[in-house]
Amino acid sequence: MYQRSVELAVGVFMLLGMGALVFLALQVSGLSMDSQKDSYKVYAQFDDLGGLSVRGRVSLAGVTIGKISAISLDRESYSALVEMDIYKEVDNLTTDSVASIQTAGLLGDKYVAISVGADEEFLADGDTIFDTQSALNLEKLIGAFASGQVDI
Amino acid sequence: MDYSAAMGRSGVFLLRALLGLSFSLKGMQLLVTQLYKIGVLSLIIIIVSGLFIGMVLGLQGYNILVDYGSEQAVGQMVALTLVRELGPVVTALLFAGRAGSALTAEIGLMKATEQLTSMEMMGVDPMKRVIAPRFWAGFISMPLLAIIFSAVGIFGGMLVSVDWLGVFEGAFWSNMQNAVEFEGDILNGLIKAVVFGAVCTWIAVFQGYDLIPTSEGISIATTKTVVYSSLSVLGLDFLLTAVMFGSI
Amino acid sequence: MQAYIEVKKLSFYRGHRSIFKDLSMTIPRGKVTAIMGPSGIGKTTLLKLIGSQLKPESGQVLIDGVDFTRLKRKELFKARAKMGMLFQSGALFSDLSVFENIAFPLRAHTKLPEDMIRDIVLMKLQAVGLRGARDLMPSELSGGMTRRVALARTIALDPELIMYDEPFAGQDPIAMGVLVQLIRLLNDALGLTSVLVSHDIAEALSIADHAIIIADGRVIGEGSPAELKSHTSPLVKQFVNGLPDGPVPFHYPAGEYEMDLVGMDESAS
Ligand SMILES: Nc1ncnc2c1ncn2[C@@H]1O[C@H](COP(=O)(O)OP(=O)(O)OP(=O)(O)O)[C@@H](O)[C@H]1O
Ligand SMILES: [Mg+2]
Repeated sequence: MYQRSVELAVGVFMLLGMGALVFLALQVSGLSMDSQKDSYKVYAQFDDLGGLSVRGRVSLAGVTIGKISAISLDRESYSALVEMDIYKEVDNLTTDSVASIQTAGLLGDKYVAISVGADEEFLADGDTIFDTQSALNLEKLIGAFASGQVDI
Repeated sequence: MDYSAAMGRSGVFLLRALLGLSFSLKGMQLLVTQLYKIGVLSLIIIIVSGLFIGMVLGLQGYNILVDYGSEQAVGQMVALTLVRELGPVVTALLFAGRAGSALTAEIGLMKATEQLTSMEMMGVDPMKRVIAPRFWAGFISMPLLAIIFSAVGIFGGMLVSVDWLGVFEGAFWSNMQNAVEFEGDILNGLIKAVVFGAVCTWIAVFQGYDLIPTSEGISIATTKTVVYSSLSVLGLDFLLTAVMFGSI
Repeated sequence: MQAYIEVKKLSFYRGHRSIFKDLSMTIPRGKVTAIMGPSGIGKTTLLKLIGSQLKPESGQVLIDGVDFTRLKRKELFKARAKMGMLFQSGALFSDLSVFENIAFPLRAHTKLPEDMIRDIVLMKLQAVGLRGARDLMPSELSGGMTRRVALARTIALDPELIMYDEPFAGQDPIAMGVLVQLIRLLNDALGLTSVLVSHDIAEALSIADHAIIIADGRVIGEGSPAELKSHTSPLVKQFVNGLPDGPVPFHYPAGEYEMDLVGMDESAS
């Protein structure tokens, strides 16, 4: 019963299992080997996060360029302070960049989309983006529409 | 009374099966042979079922989500369903039917034809020689099979929603990656698979070892293996889900 | 006569049914001892008790002076390497070929190189006349062949003690003759002790040096074949001469036959 081919098949089975786990980790859960990729911190203040959460994506032109590392309340301005880890290689975000909270699809996850401006200077570690757009609040929008405050 | 005695016997049995694994060359060969019979030979049914279940999930998910314009979320739906629930549970049910019943029947027949007794009389412990390699092989195979099932299922879901129904591939994956967490979802799913694997193999091997050595005894024990395993898997799944994901 | 196995005051129950009660017997060293008795009386059970496969309720089994009923699991497995038992059913490992079945005890208990294992296996197969069947699987063997392969496996390790449970059942006259010779030869050439359980009184008495007849959970007659043949006890006479009726009941304990037929047997209700 015991043969080389049995050994080989079992080896392939093990590799297949490991491969599947790696696939689940990298491709499905998006765990990246370079999650400790060098990054720098950029802050942004929003009036309303509308469901944005830590570990969420930061994207530029649809490409992920970092993730949200912390969310806190700014005691003075009563607004939300979002701390983002931006990958080191994306070091040319202009200081007049705009950060907006968007939704992937109608019901999808919230993420921060950054669009760059025309400034000559770039954001550095610890800088803050001032130009922000809060999440589109669906309930408020529907409420406003229902009470006739919005024209279509 | 009978039940508690059987519980006690099976507990002692589990301990001896766990400790019975030998790390000698011979022991490893026995383990590899059983990994082949229990793991490799179950691959086909696991891959085929995984593929179809993933495809069905993709199709149903798309049909529901497209009404809300969120068909990109089909990836996360397929992945979460598979990784958290269907991967471990369906694999365990298939495993109990395919490998578990075969284990019970094989060991039972060895008992009925006095092969286990004659082994003992030759001074070879059947616990080490027959039971332990089978137990460990089941214990190792089941999580691997569950992972393969989930991976193939996700692939099947992608096949239907991206290649067939035209969901944008980038959105399919990125939505999935945002929603699925490695520790929270994949590791917890893996823990489920490990638990189910241990329980299913334990039941199968014990039922075989403890049965009444007649053809009727073997048929009763084989049925018991499938029924007990399935019920344990479904019951444990609820418990584990409540602990891992629920807020009870 | 020097004792190899001593069974002392052995009692054993199956459920509530007593199989043996204070059974004592001595099996001499270096001889072929035949154990005979009606079917279902517990001969196989006795062999299993001797091999400590079953534990008695009380009593001792001394083999070569060692009390087997007291041995720990590990010591027991070690001690069993020097005894062989031929099972009534053969009990070959169904997933191993004939060759591998015989190699099994060798691989389990020795570290012999592969070519030596091969030589020993072929020698043993030659002895039972089945060298040509080495690559068959047990499912491809006839009942008689199975028994002979099992015998080859039993003697693979050249044990000190061999217990044969019905070695002649299902053998044609030629194979039977060969087996009788083989058992005798093994016993004399290797100086081992043989215990033989058989229904075949003529055959068993022809090769045995010593015979023990058990019935009703105890020894009813003991001695050399010649002594037994001229035994005066009616029990022994009945058995040795194979008479259906007499003190030894042919039937498993039951109520009155007529009562049973008309459905009035109290033990059946
Ligand atoms: N596993 C068992 N459970 C309960 N009773 C058993 C079991 N095995 C055997 N018995 C009973 O023990 C008695 C002795 O059985 P055993 O097999 O030793 O008989 P035997 O003398 O070898 O018979 P035979 O010559 O037909 O092989 C029988 O009456 C049988 O009913
Ligand atoms: Mg018998």
